[in-house]
Amino acid sequence: MASVLQTIVEKKHYKFISGEGVTWQEAVRLSTESLIADGSVSEDYYKQIIACIEKYGPYVVFDHNVAMPHTTENAEGAYKTGIGFMVCEHMIDFGEDEDGEKKEANLFFTLSSANPEEHMENISQLSNIFMNDDLLDALAAARTPEDILEAEKKYPCEE
Amino acid sequence: MAKLDGKKLLACCANGAGSSLMMENAIKKVMTRNGIKPAELRHCPVSEGKTAARNYDVVFCARTFAKTFEGVESAGTVLIPLKNVMSDKEIEAALKEAGLLD
Repeated sequence: MASVLQTIVEKKHYKFISGEGVTWQEAVRLSTESLIADGSVSEDYYKQIIACIEKYGPYVVFDHNVAMPHTTENAEGAYKTGIGFMVCEHMIDFGEDEDGEKKEANLFFTLSSANPEEHMENISQLSNIFMNDDLLDALAAARTPEDILEAEKKYPCEE
Repeated sequence: MAKLDGKKLLACCANGAGSSLMMENAIKKVMTRNGIKPAELRHCPVSEGKTAARNYDVVFCARTFAKTFEGVESAGTVLIPLKNVMSDKEIEAALKEAGLLD
């Protein structure tokens, strides 16, 4: 079975940006562009994600500058299950969390969920990726789809 | 018998679709590693978890949502707020700290 990173490359669900001066709201929108391109999500799907982060704070930004913007399962405008992957050369500022800790991200894994089983599989693979610091560093340095596959080959996840 | 055997566990996040699933996976890892068989382990959105929490023995959530669950402890529910929702190590340490794991 293809790994989520292989699927990202196969379906062209990736984007590489400079990120300089880009707000987190704009970054979230940009991260859905590859999903919009093949009809995985609607053009305004990103608005729901932004509303959710505005309501609950930047809890979708995890350790190691990884962001996993998402909404609910079967959200309006989520037509296919997928992951919009985006690498930013510059950090995107998400403000501070409830403890005043600065939250910023340069890796985006933006989720769309229409099928619970596929979504579950994506989440469980992402958990392993997010715990794999070497892989995350290599992905942050990726500038081409080939770099993504190379990073995974070099730093495979357990399981 | 382990202290969490037969207990009901709940993982909550904003939407019940992203981080709560990650939490559930990480909790499963901890349970398997320690040979614990909880009676129930599921995930749901905070909105649902707020009312459901009292019916569970342990509720896990990202620290952002800890405030939402204020007061559940009076119903005997143990609340475990997590910094890193996918860290099985943090979950294990928090359960030990709460006296729920040896």
